Amino acid sequence: MLVQLAVSGLALGSMYGLVALGYHMTWATSRTLNFSQGHVVMVGAVVAYAAHVAGGWPLAAAVAVTLLAAAAFGLVVERIAVRPFFRAGSPVWLLATIALGIIVENVAMLAFGKDARAFPSALALKPVFVLGAGVYPQELLLPVVGVALMGATQLFYHRTFYGRQLKAVAWDSEAAGLMGIDVPRAVAVSYALSSVLAGVAGLLLAPLLNVSPTMGTLIGLKAFAVAIIGGLTSAAGIVVAGFLYGLVEALVAGYVSTGAREIVGFAVVIAMLIVRPWGLGGARPARRV
Amino acid sequence: MTPAAAWLVVAAAAAVVPLLTANTYYLYLAMTIGILVVVAGGLNVLAGLTGQISLGHAGLYAIGAYTAALAATRLGLGFWTALPLAVVVTAIIGAAVALAALRLSGPYLAMVTIAFGIIVEGALVEWVALTGGPGGIFDIPKPRLAGVPLALSRYYWLVAAAAALALLLTRNLARSAWGRALVAVRDSELAAESLGLFAYRVRTTAFTLSAAFAGAGGALFAFLNGYLSPDSFTLQTSILFLLTVLFGGLGTVAGPLVGAVALVLLPELMHQFVEYRLILYGSLLLLSVYFLPRGVVGALARRRGVGSAAAGAAAAGGSPGPRPGRGPGPPPATAAPAAAGPRGGDFVERAHRPEHTEAGGGPAVLHAVVLQLTGVTKSFGGVRALDGVTLAVRAGTIHSLIGPNGAGKTTLVNLVSGFDRPDGGTIELFGEPVGGRSAVRIARRGLARTFQTPQLFEELAVLDNVLVAATGPRLGWLAAALAGAGGDAAATRARADDALAAVGLGEWAATPAADLPFGHRRRLEIARALAAGARVLMLDEPAAGLAPAEIEALDALLSRLRAAGLTVVLIEHHVELVMAISDRVTVLDEGRVIAEGAPAAVQRDPAVLAAYLGTPA
Repeated sequence: MLVQLAVSGLALGSMYGLVALGYHMTWATSRTLNFSQGHVVMVGAVVAYAAHVAGGWPLAAAVAVTLLAAAAFGLVVERIAVRPFFRAGSPVWLLATIALGIIVENVAMLAFGKDARAFPSALALKPVFVLGAGVYPQELLLPVVGVALMGATQLFYHRTFYGRQLKAVAWDSEAAGLMGIDVPRAVAVSYALSSVLAGVAGLLLAPLLNVSPTMGTLIGLKAFAVAIIGGLTSAAGIVVAGFLYGLVEALVAGYVSTGAREIVGFAVVIAMLIVRPWGLGGARPARRV
Repeated sequence: MTPAAAWLVVAAAAAVVPLLTANTYYLYLAMTIGILVVVAGGLNVLAGLTGQISLGHAGLYAIGAYTAALAATRLGLGFWTALPLAVVVTAIIGAAVALAALRLSGPYLAMVTIAFGIIVEGALVEWVALTGGPGGIFDIPKPRLAGVPLALSRYYWLVAAAAALALLLTRNLARSAWGRALVAVRDSELAAESLGLFAYRVRTTAFTLSAAFAGAGGALFAFLNGYLSPDSFTLQTSILFLLTVLFGGLGTVAGPLVGAVALVLLPELMHQFVEYRLILYGSLLLLSVYFLPRGVVGALARRRGVGSAAAGAAAAGGSPGPRPGRGPGPPPATAAPAAAGPRGGDFVERAHRPEHTEAGGGPAVLHAVVLQLTGVTKSFGGVRALDGVTLAVRAGTIHSLIGPNGAGKTTLVNLVSGFDRPDGGTIELFGEPVGGRSAVRIARRGLARTFQTPQLFEELAVLDNVLVAATGPRLGWLAAALAGAGGDAAATRARADDALAAVGLGEWAATPAADLPFGHRRRLEIARALAAGARVLMLDEPAAGLAPAEIEALDALLSRLRAAGLTVVLIEHHVELVMAISDRVTVLDEGRVIAEGAPAAVQRDPAVLAAYLGTPA
């Protein structure tokens, strides 16, 4: 039981971390974030379902379309809900991205229907046995892909020219702009990348959670909680927090109840915000006068 | 149509509803609107006046509803006891949430409120013994009046009265010193604290108040429905509450009413498209943030030719009389109200004028020390911003601090005014150690500061900016503010008027601060400091960006302040001004005092020349 819970907790946790890393990316470049990030997860799952299961496309093509759709959605969010309000301060872009999320969820509802649908996958059919516990191969795949992608984003940021430009924007967008970096484009790219991560999470979670238009909200909120716990400014903190959150959540659900899961998870966030609002890995911000 | 006439029409329409229809569904809809007005009215105080967004008000609404329902079903309490109980319980829980949440802002605050809502929703489902779990609570008895159960058509009057009361209370609040303080804290937390106002406390009060409103709405809902289940209290409900205020008009009195009517009736009008309801909500939300920064009400007010700031002021304003709109220009600037006497002479010569060293009759040297820094240090990372600064400022003098960029001048202001903590050394104000104390406490001890970038309460009128300072933390009873009693004391108003007159901004009293020309913005900051009763004034580069005529006016103003007995600490790059006006000059370089003395002596000091011009090799 414990191993089983731990495996599925870490699997989900890796996805929370992946989605939360998306919050971190846009926060770093623009001090804004997409409150409908969870809906990108849903878009990923729904598009993958439509292409692969309903449309019968080969998996590779379906994956490509899904990632493109997610990136496109990220760009739309940035252009419609964030960029116009960049200067206006937090409540406005926050509400605008929430509004877009509501619209997308309900458009998906119209197109897809209310009911959750199973996403058949060879990796979620038969359990394999690890340390005597039955787990789906998909659950083992999730953390592997998750960690690989998290590593890849770090390589991108630290090793590639364009990634370094984004990092420069994250450090000081004004100075970066003066050095000739196209800051608005960097912000747009960070939104596209952030959404691709969420889309991948949707793709990977679909076989485990079933696909439905409402699946994104809670995942998005949990990922946001993870981003806060880990520290919005700290990629490493977020990855750790993702695994911790998934693990704790699985244990609470397994040993207490599934309802207590959310209560405990979000209570931890509130506690964190009281004690250490900058998160596990973040640095205490200086007050600017 | 005047606002008064519009309100009469609304009241008449509300009164006619139960006469027109006995259809319980229509009555139910009308009451849903009324309850939404109550909740949105409270949220309007929070979001409209203090600018804080809550995405967890459904949780507070739930607590009100379940408290009332449990009180009625388990404790056998009647409506008239259950309702106030629900309000009190919700307010207490709201205060607890606020204490946790309101040190935060932006997405962090959103997270806390979302998390709170989810926890409450989860508890409603999980805590079966108390809440009945997913099934909820049934058979909530009807409210009684004089022992007789109220029929739905009678209950309507109660809900309508509650909605009217909610709007009245928020209107009164917005016009009170509390309302002014709420807007002030929203527009500039820094300035509010520099005037002795605890931003955190003011916000917590607003959140608690909005929780009380949500609790009342929840209780009304419980008695209207007769049963409760967790489905009514989701994140979506929280978003609906927020949307009501946004769409209706953030910070306007009628906003919650307009929003509630629109959001309850619109989906009814298109009920054959039930599945489009949320798309409609999402679109309205997007529409509101795009095109209606002050909602429908604000947009209508603007069309009537009232400026947007005035639309806000309709809710937030405290000063009587019509305000100038965007159309007619503000009164012309009086560039130099007290620029008397010849100017432009040799500044060294003027620096030797005897009255500058003999303010108040005796030699300045004998004046008491009001501000004493001893060995003050401060580092940022590896950078020593201040390295053992010792400095004494005497009462009734103008003491200037100069030095190249990065010398540590602004750091020193921040430490003295409590916006940052010193690493070592002592700071004494009027003989009491204040190093490391909060900005609010230091402000209350009689020190006020201005900022390099003027921090004004942009949406308040000029007079209201000064009234915030004159009132300070003495906001009076919240209950009095809600009841519409407790206007500004005559002494407070007089102090505000005097402060405005002293800086020559009297004619601008009714202008929104956002519309003030740049040079006047600094003067408004000084007026605020005066109204706050400051005896020591720290001015951080007040001459930066001013035209020569404005600098002369500033010079005259500072001399008058000194003559009136104030102590001025002047941080300035404008050497001409400094040399002309100062009694003493301290020169900082790389965090150390390199020279101090009378202006003329400092000007010839070789260390000073070296710091400014470089040492000849």
